[in-house]
Amino acid sequence: MSQLLSIKELKVSAEDKPLLHGVSLDIQSGSTHVLMGPNGAGKSTLGLTVMGSPEYTVTGGKIFFEGEDITDESAYERAKRGIFLSFQNPVEIPGITLSEFLRNSLEQISGKHMKLWDFKKKLKAAMEILNMDSSYADRDLNVGFSGGEKKKSEILQLLMLEPKLAILDETDSGLDVDAVKTVSQGINEYKSRTGGSLLIITHNTKILEALNVDRTHILAAGKITAQGGAELVDDVITNGFDRYISGE
Amino acid sequence: MSEKTIVADIDRSRYDFRFEEDESNYLGSGLTAEIVTELSQEKGDPEWMRDLRLHSLDIYNKTKMVEWGPSIDELDVDKIVTYIRQKSRMNTDWNDVPEDIKKTFENLGIPQAERESLAGVGAQYDSELVYHNVRKEVAQSGVVYTDLESAMHDERYGEIIKSHFMKLVPPTDHKFAALHGAVWSGGSFVYVPKGVRLEIPLQSYFRLNAKGAGQFEHTLIILEEDSYLHFIEGCSAPKYYEAGLHAGCVELYVGKNATLRYSTIENWSKNMYNLNTKRALVSQGGKIEWVSGSFGSHVSYLYPMSILNGEGARAEFTGITFAGEGQNLDTGAKMIHNAPNTSSYMNTKSISKSGGISTFRSAVVVKENAVGSKSSVSCESLMLDKISRSDTVPAMDIRTKYADIGHEAKIGRISDESVFYLMSRGMSEQDAKAMIVRGFADNVSKELPLEYAMEMNNLIGLEMHGSIG
Amino acid sequence: MSTVKLNTLPAPTFSWLGVNDIQADVGALDNGTYALDNGSCTEVLSGGAYEITAQGGEIREAVMFISPNDSAQVSTTVKAGGSSAVRLVQVFDGKAQTVSSVKALLEDDTGFELVQLYLGTGSTISEIDTQLGGRKSEFTANIGYLLGGDDKLDINLIARHLGKKTKSQITAKGVMNDSAQKTFKGTIDFVSGSAGASGAENEDVLLIGEKVVNKTVPLILCAEEDVEGSHGASIGRVDEEHIFYMQSRGLPQEKIVQLMAQSKIAQIVNTIADEQVRARINNKIGRGKDDE
Repeated sequence: MSQLLSIKELKVSAEDKPLLHGVSLDIQSGSTHVLMGPNGAGKSTLGLTVMGSPEYTVTGGKIFFEGEDITDESAYERAKRGIFLSFQNPVEIPGITLSEFLRNSLEQISGKHMKLWDFKKKLKAAMEILNMDSSYADRDLNVGFSGGEKKKSEILQLLMLEPKLAILDETDSGLDVDAVKTVSQGINEYKSRTGGSLLIITHNTKILEALNVDRTHILAAGKITAQGGAELVDDVITNGFDRYISGE
Repeated sequence: MSEKTIVADIDRSRYDFRFEEDESNYLGSGLTAEIVTELSQEKGDPEWMRDLRLHSLDIYNKTKMVEWGPSIDELDVDKIVTYIRQKSRMNTDWNDVPEDIKKTFENLGIPQAERESLAGVGAQYDSELVYHNVRKEVAQSGVVYTDLESAMHDERYGEIIKSHFMKLVPPTDHKFAALHGAVWSGGSFVYVPKGVRLEIPLQSYFRLNAKGAGQFEHTLIILEEDSYLHFIEGCSAPKYYEAGLHAGCVELYVGKNATLRYSTIENWSKNMYNLNTKRALVSQGGKIEWVSGSFGSHVSYLYPMSILNGEGARAEFTGITFAGEGQNLDTGAKMIHNAPNTSSYMNTKSISKSGGISTFRSAVVVKENAVGSKSSVSCESLMLDKISRSDTVPAMDIRTKYADIGHEAKIGRISDESVFYLMSRGMSEQDAKAMIVRGFADNVSKELPLEYAMEMNNLIGLEMHGSIG
Repeated sequence: MSTVKLNTLPAPTFSWLGVNDIQADVGALDNGTYALDNGSCTEVLSGGAYEITAQGGEIREAVMFISPNDSAQVSTTVKAGGSSAVRLVQVFDGKAQTVSSVKALLEDDTGFELVQLYLGTGSTISEIDTQLGGRKSEFTANIGYLLGGDDKLDINLIARHLGKKTKSQITAKGVMNDSAQKTFKGTIDFVSGSAGASGAENEDVLLIGEKVVNKTVPLILCAEEDVEGSHGASIGRVDEEHIFYMQSRGLPQEKIVQLMAQSKIAQIVNTIADEQVRARINNKIGRGKDDE
């Protein structure tokens, strides 16, 4: 497996407040990683920084994707390289339908025009996997969507855009059992169809049940305090984060 | 929080007292070049000031009355006595202040306030400063706080006053700015040197205490780089039966990275025309914070302007206006973004009651060069009965796409549910309403020093009891 | 032709802002008033007076495409008698100076829905004066504009609440490119006696041109205690959160601006019930061209 994402000693702050204090993390092509940690540890910060959010400033360290330094690139350039972030709170855009938006995205990322019929077919198939009513395609992007529907809309975009790396930020939070199952199906579909990599930020193990976790990272107070295999997830679930924090 | 506020023991008479004036002190009615010249001579103006006065008079005579806003037809400027000489000269020691004047101030609580936390008192009694004292430590820090008239003659400050006086508010600005330029009298001069951060607020009290007298005080404040000042201007005036006029002028120069907080609780008597002009020029990285409470006067036109002239300059305006019976209070603020990355923030509340009219009026101007600027305006109005009136007249003029401008306004009344809720907890209807109104006004009260916040809450209590009781 | 003051702000403000009125040369209107039939779509190519009237229980709908070749005045009178409703759509895309006025009189239990779209208008001066005279009458205005080049647009909208429990809802959304100039004055006037009335007004402007001049003047005049009024305005560029989200989905800056511009105008177009009219407008603004 080749190195897909490599984060080296990353220091990040927002509004002059340091949030990450030298985080290093490597993700191989095709692997599934889990990032866990207590509230306020900086998990979302890490996800958003890898995606290139202008709200966070990199004050030290580098981010490499497929061996290239992307630390100063815009979110648009990163998306074109194949990085995807599933947002915790995706924005609402009235007047633009989900389908219109996705078609624009897909054309920009793939760099080629897609026939409307082909697009619709692909969209329909993806929506079926997620048990989404086809009417959502013609609704304005995320407008009036419930929390669960927004999460599904994000996974729908994942299935359509087929990135090389998908960062899923608390995609399972606030979902009921059935919805978690549906979202898991979507993630599995992405994984099996594209062989892409995953970085799953979560509190919850349900979403991980159907996935083969390769590596687990614990983030506490802006630092990686422990790394291990899938067994680390079980340990955290049983014993909590305490021993990973008190080590500080 | 509000429950602990003291509303009891309000003695309206505290705000309604005056002492007999000696008629011989009036300078005469009407406004002519002779009067202005005489005034200038009497004050011993430098030549440039005499010229400025006469030039202003000329502009005054040529300028039209404003064509918007509340009517000021009943105001006969020529009849208003423009100047009253105070018998007393400047005093630096409280003991030398004439007895009747002293009594007025004692009623206003100035000496106590001074003893407690105030750095200095520059109080204007009618047209001249009669009491002036700055605590030693303030003076030692290099801060100058003195009356403008004598500072003008001081060789240390003469030049700086000449180069700033009515440069920000030129006499051509509007008719009453011209009038002010012609007949201004009294007021304060504050100079804060580079790097000096004055932690205790400076305070000035203005009062108008002569029948038919106009008050034209001028406040000039200059903050050098990296300095900080909180200036408190308090006004309260006794009740009169003849129209009075206040056409003061406030010019504030905020230097690079300096911050000036300018707080006013204005409570002119209900027959006054308050046509005041306030303006701040803010340099790079500097900040002006206005806190403004308007309770008194018959008619008010008051819109402090902040000119954000240097990159990253900021302005905040927090205001409350309470218009009761017979009052037409037209208040608000103007924000001019004239440099990149400037920001302005406005938060106002207004209350109309017993036939009072309150108007919120604002202008936010973002010029072509003010790229990256932000502005946010929020105004809320409360109607307390159906015979009152409340208008909201904001305007935005945006000339760059690199800007984020937000505006929101609401108008409504006290909800029956809120009153019912408080009454269900044992409060009378009047008290419940008074409490809700005080809560409504907390945007301003929480920005004021404690004793002022209490004073303002007392004023609200007084206004509320007027109708409900 | 004579020079007159138009679009007078109901409560004038600081004169240096230049928003109190606008001067224009106008001539006299031709005699005669054309009644707009229910369900009609009228091409207005020169000036004239139009009228749409609904009586008890009726719902009347009309569409006007206003695109005069020479400077023109178009005045439209709307009368809604007891328990009726009027829906009027006006699309402006003339190149010559257009002076438009809509005067509406609403009686008890009536509704008036107005949609106006200004699609590259040259110079347009437009006044909308709605008298909510009857009890429980309701006025909804959805106004969209897509301005570029040297377009000039001056709108003066007044919702005068006279009757009890009247309601107004005013929404304006627009995009300004190049050196377009626009003034939107919107006034909600609660006249004494309009107890139980409510009015809300909102303007959302996306500025994308380097030399645009946008003036927004939202007034609430209130002489009644038992009312609820609000207005909001948001002016400027696309906010950072939206940009980041769309960038993260691979959209470049130009595309984001284009989509957001489309978003603004689409929100107004989508309030039009008639699909054919929507399609015609979408076609004019170049939306959905390569679909199907």
